Amino acid sequence: MPRFSSPSVPPLSPTGRSFLTAASASVRRSSPPPLASVRSHPALAKCIFTSFNSDLFDQVISECNEHSLQLQSLIRKIEEQNLDMQTTRNEDHFGAVIHHLSLVRNKRCLMAYMYNRAEIIQGLRWKVGPVLPQEMQEKVNYLEEEYFKDHSAAIESYMSEMDLDLTVDMVPPKDPYIQVRVLDDIGEVCLDDHSISLAKHSLHFLRRTDAEPFISQGLMEEFLE
Amino acid sequence: MSGPWSEEAEEDASLLAGTTDVELIKRAWRNEKAAPEILQFEGPLVLRVREQIQLLEETVEESTENGSNDLVVSLYQMDLDRTLFLLRSYLRIRLQKIEKYMIHISKTNLWNRLSEQEKKFTKRCTEIMEKLLEQSVLARLPYGYKSFLKQSISSEEDDMVPEPQLDTFVFCKAKDAVGAFQLDDSGDEIVDLVADDLLNIGQSNLHLLRGAKGRGIVHCKHLLDYGVFVGVPGDNLNYSETSYCLN
Repeated sequence: MPRFSSPSVPPLSPTGRSFLTAASASVRRSSPPPLASVRSHPALAKCIFTSFNSDLFDQVISECNEHSLQLQSLIRKIEEQNLDMQTTRNEDHFGAVIHHLSLVRNKRCLMAYMYNRAEIIQGLRWKVGPVLPQEMQEKVNYLEEEYFKDHSAAIESYMSEMDLDLTVDMVPPKDPYIQVRVLDDIGEVCLDDHSISLAKHSLHFLRRTDAEPFISQGLMEEFLE
Repeated sequence: MSGPWSEEAEEDASLLAGTTDVELIKRAWRNEKAAPEILQFEGPLVLRVREQIQLLEETVEESTENGSNDLVVSLYQMDLDRTLFLLRSYLRIRLQKIEKYMIHISKTNLWNRLSEQEKKFTKRCTEIMEKLLEQSVLARLPYGYKSFLKQSISSEEDDMVPEPQLDTFVFCKAKDAVGAFQLDDSGDEIVDLVADDLLNIGQSNLHLLRGAKGRGIVHCKHLLDYGVFVGVPGDNLNYSETSYCLN
């Protein structure tokens, strides 16, 4: 009798969500604490995202193919006995059903895994801009990186058709001007037809709409007294 | 004493509400934000608001050139910023709903609620999501399990499409007197909806409705608004984020 489910695949709810949260939580616990010297991107602080688990992913895929082989052989067996596929209810039929359901379950897991990761990745376009931060680039696989670029381009072409930048103004404006602290050497920048030097650690009073792109890239922060 | 919340001011405010485009986009934005599914795109309204934004921008520019009072300029600027925020946030919420439910939207009559640009965006999003799932999962699965929309070829309908949960609770505010209204199919719950009146908010015109029913009223009778009220009824009315907006 073949194994129906390898122990490496945790059980899951029909949507596959619990599988994903459980998986990411356990991976998070086992990973070493981040180095203090690596400054995390502020927008990623609350984001739980782990490296693409390609080993587990490949295992589930090969399990799917094994289920398929077993399923085919059981169906052949029923056919060889000249039994009617639609009405036969013997052990081979129920064996085939179990293989089918396991396969479908694995498919849901894999799809949910990719889909949920894609949702997080596409959400980053709104939070950090068109370039994936270094720490995210290490965690996505090349298909996901491609997905981020494609999705980013889709948003950009919508914005250029509408002639409106939707990535600024993420919070309701209180004041047209805000005080910001520069976190990195940005250099000379031309804002509203006068240039301004944005040196590291300097404080500035800028138009909120001018400052927002820098803030979302993690180059500035709002300075609150 | 006539304070800011006197009846007279209240009346003026309610007269103004629903008449200016900024008020209308604020309502559209609030409804979009609170509704579980995507609503009809307010095309003409968005166009008008954009025209007004352009006008405001010109005013700000002129005033700056004329060397008008800084305070006046910054007030114009603030008004401009707030309207721009409403517009951007409105469009953004819609895009984010599309990102989430693109396949469901393209398969149902929700499709007709999108603007032309949103339709293009939906198509593109679906293509790239399909490409991702195709290349990572579907191409590697055995024959019969390669469908993007179905779990397997034995599925009769598309059973792998994420849909918004419509049967959820939403807040609603009556825009007008609806009268006795049956909330529940079983007929157990009958609510008397009275006209929207801020002074009356503590009495009975803020209702928690099951999404499906609430939607029924919003769409069929056009009498209700989705709302994002926080705080207890009877408390000073709090619109959460909308309180930033100038009237």
